[in-house]
Amino acid sequence: MAAVIPTASPETILACRNVSRWFGGLQALRDVDITINRGEIFGLVGPNGSGKTTLVNAITGFYPPQQGQILFEGRPLHTLKPHQIAQQGIARTFQNVALFRGMSVLDNILLGRHNFMRPSVMASLFYWWWAQKEEVAHRNKVEEVIDLLQLESVRDEHVDVIPLGLQKRVELARALAAEPRFLVLDEPMAGMNQEEKEYMVRFIIDAQEALGLTILLIEHHMDVVTAICDRVVVLNNGEKIAEGPAREAINDPAVVAAYIGKVDDAA
Amino acid sequence: MFYRLSGIHHTRYESARQLWPIPMDRWQIYVLLALGLAAPLLFSGLYLTSYLLPWLIMSAAALSLTLLMGIAGQLHFGFAAVMAIGAYSSIHLVRAGVPFELALLGAGAIAAVIGSVFGAAALRVKGLYLVMATLAMQYLVDWTIINVPAISGGAQATLQTPAVRFLFMPLASDVSRYYLALGWVVLVTLLILNIKRTSLGRALVAVRDKDFAAAVIGVDTVKYKLLAFFTSSFLGGVTGAVLAFCYYRAVTPEQFTFNVSIQLVAMVLVGGLGSVLGAYLGAGFVLLVPIVLTNVVAFLAGAGWLSVSTNLLAHIPLMVYGALIIGFLLFEPLGLAKIYDNIRNYFLVWPFRHSRS
Repeated sequence: MAAVIPTASPETILACRNVSRWFGGLQALRDVDITINRGEIFGLVGPNGSGKTTLVNAITGFYPPQQGQILFEGRPLHTLKPHQIAQQGIARTFQNVALFRGMSVLDNILLGRHNFMRPSVMASLFYWWWAQKEEVAHRNKVEEVIDLLQLESVRDEHVDVIPLGLQKRVELARALAAEPRFLVLDEPMAGMNQEEKEYMVRFIIDAQEALGLTILLIEHHMDVVTAICDRVVVLNNGEKIAEGPAREAINDPAVVAAYIGKVDDAA
Repeated sequence: MFYRLSGIHHTRYESARQLWPIPMDRWQIYVLLALGLAAPLLFSGLYLTSYLLPWLIMSAAALSLTLLMGIAGQLHFGFAAVMAIGAYSSIHLVRAGVPFELALLGAGAIAAVIGSVFGAAALRVKGLYLVMATLAMQYLVDWTIINVPAISGGAQATLQTPAVRFLFMPLASDVSRYYLALGWVVLVTLLILNIKRTSLGRALVAVRDKDFAAAVIGVDTVKYKLLAFFTSSFLGGVTGAVLAFCYYRAVTPEQFTFNVSIQLVAMVLVGGLGSVLGAYLGAGFVLLVPIVLTNVVAFLAGAGWLSVSTNLLAHIPLMVYGALIIGFLLFEPLGLAKIYDNIRNYFLVWPFRHSRS
């Protein structure tokens, strides 16, 4: 099963080579090949249970692939632990908001700076001479993100009292605070109304332009996918069934069949 | 509490992140600290040594435990064993000729190492299983201390603490012992408060709340769980040493049994998980309730309104602990600190109740 490691072309940021993952008898991913280029917004779509989140979990290290390789900027990711992958410059959000409920919005976003900070008991004990400078410096960075995503009004609120749309935005802010080069968004618009969706799309595009991000976006709202994704991959039952520019891939007969069942029904 | 928050604005991040950003809160702390410093003048020796001193030391113990249980979210039902390791280590180090200041640090270090070894179980297990692992620590440490004469000095033995001096001052009077305990509890308080507002505290809370989400932003969950066990056990070890030298002045294994562990857990839970104020309130509550109860029951019995055996009298506090823990878990899981917070918030906006958030 040893796949040949391809030499990463300069514009490739993330490459999945023949990635397979199964849980017991269930094959969640089968030989998935994906190449994501630097600077693009890459869509990952497919019906429920098609393996989108499993692929993201394979990339971020929660369920490492049992076969195949994942290369980030030419270096293998599939041998690293989740926190090491985060230190490579990869951030993600979760389908179900995964904020830390015991903290304020500000502290949640500050936690995004963890990779750049040096937490220690001594630094905390001698706060005034040691940790304070670092805290203030990172607070400045966090305020830039808060400004970008317009979260000023809820800065000091606890995260569990603000509405879902804002919680998703806070999670995006926490991911952006980590200054990632590659950002994975797992259904950032799930459960949002039209207005919140439009806001979110605007924030994603703003962030991508301001920070020069590459984004892997899982989304069920096809209007969003066709509007902002440069290229998409469609998964079904763990296999890649289509790839290409968003509008063409989504209208591919195999994709329509996977979503609706019969080609004839698609008009 | 009769003050308002209007008009308090911070224009620098440093001042917004102060320990007490509201000036009135700061003044309250100054007054409390002044009372603490003046306590030997204000209270008689009896009150100082049998109420204030144990309260301060147990507050330090509860603070050490709340760092682990409340902030890092790792249950520990064997914390008295950690304190026992600290107490015995410090005595043996002093007897071996180590200066008292270094013996305190050594006691903390030994407790931290042993505590982390048992804490390593936490990397694999959570919740009830962690409770079992820490219970095992309690019983193993108890057994070892009792059965190794080199540690306990023999079966049923009592080890007297040697006379020591701290920073060139002999620790000979009640007042000097009180000030050492006060200094230690203030230091622990500042440490916990500072941990809570820095990156270390945020990482620990992240591991407590959602460990997978913590990992995805780069927090090494294994490292921070171990660090929590290490730090908390270090503080617990030093607190055990302070307890031995400042309060008991003679240690026996019975001072650090499972019951004490349960008392410490009760302090943390009744006071409020992860709350610094809660550790003080919880320690005071758990220490005072048995005294008050015993006095009330004894008074009622003495007046002939109630007939209780001395046996029952001894067990009433234990029953009340159980009831209190269940009651707090049911009705106010965030403990006395939350009750204080509610009262404070009520008065902050009184009488304009509609603006209460």
